[in-house]
Amino acid sequence: MIRTPQMLQKQEWLAFLFHRHNAHLASFHTFSNYPRIWIISIIILAVTSLSPLVMATLINNRLIHKSVDSELVLQTDRVTSNAKRSVRFFLEERLNALRFVVNELPYYSLIDNEHLTKILINLKLGFGGFTDLSIIDSDGSQVAYAGPFNLEGKNYKTQSWFKQSMEKDNFISEVFTGYRDVPHIIIAVRSQNAYGRYYLLRATLDTQRLMDTVLSYKSNFHTDIFLINHTGILQTPSTNYGKIFTPTQIDIPAFSDTTQVITPENNKDKSYVVGYSYIATEAVTTPFILMVHKKKSEVMGTWLNLGKTFNWIIGFCCLVMMVIITLVSTYMVNQLFLADQSKAETMLKMEQSQQLACIGQLSAGIAHEINNPLALINETTGYLKDLYHYKDTPRDDKEIIELLNDILEAVSRCGTITSQLLGFVRQFDVQISSVNVEQLITGILSFHKKETEYKGIHVTTAIAPDVPDIKTDRGKLQQILLNLINNAFQAIEVNGCLDITVSHLPPNTISIEIKDTGCGISEENLQRIHEPFFSTKKERKGTGLGLSITYGLVKKLQGSIRVESSEGVGTIFTVTLPVKLQKEDEA
Amino acid sequence: MKQIDILIIDDEIKFADMLSRRLSLRDITCRACYDGLSGIQWVKENSGAATLILLDLKLPDMYGTQVLAHIKELDPAVPVYIITGHGTREDEKECLAQGAAEFIHKPVSIEKITTLLTHVRGEVQ
Repeated sequence: MIRTPQMLQKQEWLAFLFHRHNAHLASFHTFSNYPRIWIISIIILAVTSLSPLVMATLINNRLIHKSVDSELVLQTDRVTSNAKRSVRFFLEERLNALRFVVNELPYYSLIDNEHLTKILINLKLGFGGFTDLSIIDSDGSQVAYAGPFNLEGKNYKTQSWFKQSMEKDNFISEVFTGYRDVPHIIIAVRSQNAYGRYYLLRATLDTQRLMDTVLSYKSNFHTDIFLINHTGILQTPSTNYGKIFTPTQIDIPAFSDTTQVITPENNKDKSYVVGYSYIATEAVTTPFILMVHKKKSEVMGTWLNLGKTFNWIIGFCCLVMMVIITLVSTYMVNQLFLADQSKAETMLKMEQSQQLACIGQLSAGIAHEINNPLALINETTGYLKDLYHYKDTPRDDKEIIELLNDILEAVSRCGTITSQLLGFVRQFDVQISSVNVEQLITGILSFHKKETEYKGIHVTTAIAPDVPDIKTDRGKLQQILLNLINNAFQAIEVNGCLDITVSHLPPNTISIEIKDTGCGISEENLQRIHEPFFSTKKERKGTGLGLSITYGLVKKLQGSIRVESSEGVGTIFTVTLPVKLQKEDEA
Repeated sequence: MKQIDILIIDDEIKFADMLSRRLSLRDITCRACYDGLSGIQWVKENSGAATLILLDLKLPDMYGTQVLAHIKELDPAVPVYIITGHGTREDEKECLAQGAAEFIHKPVSIEKITTLLTHVRGEVQ
């Protein structure tokens, strides 16, 4: 369907997606697959424009995470160190107080319950956190006791803390319930009495004071700070792991007497960091490990929210850009298609008018070829008539027969021409038929017989013996060859050569080479010869359409055309065609 | 100088011969040349001898327009009639511009030629 200019002006949106395929027009299209161009352009535009944005966002996020991580590590380290110092100081202070008592007072005054109660009161006043005091001799028997519980006469010989404390000068126990069923810590110092026998001054510490000390470093909800023993049992309550004495299943961190901050491998999304420190006083190690779990969300809260907002904005921008890219690509490809479509339509019209021009050209050649024999027939029959009219004597039989033969010969010349003419009649029917290239070329050359003689052009045709009959559109091939041969004749000056070579390129192509020794084409013009309306012929001699139409026709026959030329030497046009034209272009 | 009525310059030998034989039957003296050069040569040697010239447009050695130009130089007075199997409108214009008397398409009837001769003779006389 050829559209009118008015229809073309109405530019249909997405015309390239929904246009009806027209094999005639398609052969003039510059591009064959517009949806593909569209998708590729969207992808290229999207990748080039969005990737820097996405990269920048990723880098930015990474930087934020990194700085947040280091900030978190720093904070955790600080909190852990401070808490560790406080716990250590808490225990050390009390241990030293006991040490002071045993060093200062003789054994006999210590085993005096009243005195011991006084010491307890003083310790409570001076340091706080003490619950009771007791003196235990080397047998594990409690010799004296000061405190709220009635524990007099108890024997601790079998208890593990007793055994451990008798081995060393100082002892700090983990938190346990013991006889009184209340969580407490035992600290003990060992000393010798006047008889050289060891005894222990044992104090029970209020765990509440220790808990308070530890919890005073809990800055907010996101920080979990607690003590565990070396087997992972909670020594103070934890936000994450629960009440005191709960087993935590925490991997016990490697021993370090300095503060360490790690990011455990098993924590989901690495959402928290862990600071820890083994607590040891100057005199004795303790069973405590201070653990600080700090959630990233504490520090990251602000950053993460900002990051989230930023990501939303970026996401929205990407979406807007994608929409714009899609719309722009669609518009551009649509415009490209419409331009190409209108070009193709013009080319199609040109091809049709070229076909008409071609008929004109053929008619002229045929008229010339036919009029000469007709003139001869005219004169010969006229002479025959004259013989009867002007001379009475019986005619010489020989002469009459000779004249009649001349007429028959001239008639046969006309017949040849008309039969060749019939070859052109089917020019516009697009249909595949078996074509003998040699016959076709001979037919076309016969129209140039006169010109060949006048200009003294030496024409040779070399058809390789293995060239098969090809299945193609006869009319179109005829037009292609006619155009090229016409061009060659026009280019050749007097006494030139025109060589036509046809060869078979197995398995399925033939090549037709038309070589002339004409004026040639300059390099500059060579690039433009297939452009419509480009002509080097002076004035009214050429329309500039021949080669562009030829190009379109060759394309239609699924072939290709190549041209080599050097100025002053000549030109070679090579048309390559498939032996069998595929069905799709038949319509 | 040999006086003749019609000089035919045409490469279609049979046509030229047949035409001259027919004209001879009508007591018209003819001379046929089969290419441009011999035609020009004849005119050169016999300037003013031909009453009219019939000239084909496409000749093996040169174009009829070239022959016409030469004849017009050698013998400006003789009327030259172009007879051609095929001539374009451009050819016709060019020939008439160069002084051809008329542009006639083949086939041409013998009566037309005799009429032309009579006409030319009438003018000459």
